[in-house]
Amino acid sequence: MLTCKEASFLASKKMDGTLAWREEMALRLHVGMCNMCRRYLRGLKSLRVMMRGSSAEGKTLLSANVKLSEQARERIEQALNKASDFHE
Amino acid sequence: MSQELSTPDQWLGLYGDALYRYALARVRDPDLAADLLQETLLAALKAKDSFMGQASELTWMTGILKHKMIDYFRKTSRERTNTMGDEGSDHENSGFFDEKGNWQIDLSSWSMPDKALEQEEFMAILQQCIDRLPPKLARVFMLRELEGMESGEICDVMCISSLNNFWVMLSRVRVQLRHCLDLNWFSH
Repeated sequence: MLTCKEASFLASKKMDGTLAWREEMALRLHVGMCNMCRRYLRGLKSLRVMMRGSSAEGKTLLSANVKLSEQARERIEQALNKASDFHE
Repeated sequence: MSQELSTPDQWLGLYGDALYRYALARVRDPDLAADLLQETLLAALKAKDSFMGQASELTWMTGILKHKMIDYFRKTSRERTNTMGDEGSDHENSGFFDEKGNWQIDLSSWSMPDKALEQEEFMAILQQCIDRLPPKLARVFMLRELEGMESGEICDVMCISSLNNFWVMLSRVRVQLRHCLDLNWFSH
């Protein structure tokens, strides 16, 4: 019988690849009987859905009012202008 | 499909902030994010004749930015691999489990936010939780969950010596994040 610590490791590993048959069975057995680990596993899946969803829509974790600073903007503008002259 | 292409002098105005946010959310350092943005726009300028407009310009530039960021991670994880070591140890998770390996923290019952505003708040808290992680772990997690990169590729970029270490690192990250979210989001 797995401990919760071991089960949490296998639950996480399952998110990144395939478990060996033996690991898969052990995890299922444990999760079937353990409320906390069932919650944990469900949470991992929800978190993935949230994160992949947010990056797929081209959004970031940051809100839209985060902007490039003025100094950085000027610096980049100059670098671009210099490079454009060079390319023309 | 034909679409209006912008000229390079419009890029910073059109895409600068969106690309900057993309970079900042991932590298968490404003100066570095601005540097990556600059490199991206310069690379786009060089390559603009080969851009055929199959994707939107923003998607195209985001792809360039992603490559620049991964190159940066690859370079720095090789430089720092000695000082950032100890990746395989799991003693930092010991606070979450007792000596018998049972959960020592309470896991709350989750329901994910479904309204847009709630989702935004959730993402802000998630970002704060990620910021509390050791930098290398935060990067590994971000490449996996946000970029959806495969395990082997991440090990290569981040200079992680074995898949097992990778799994141990991510398991540690996920338990820590879970606890942080339980405390700061699901309990309110």
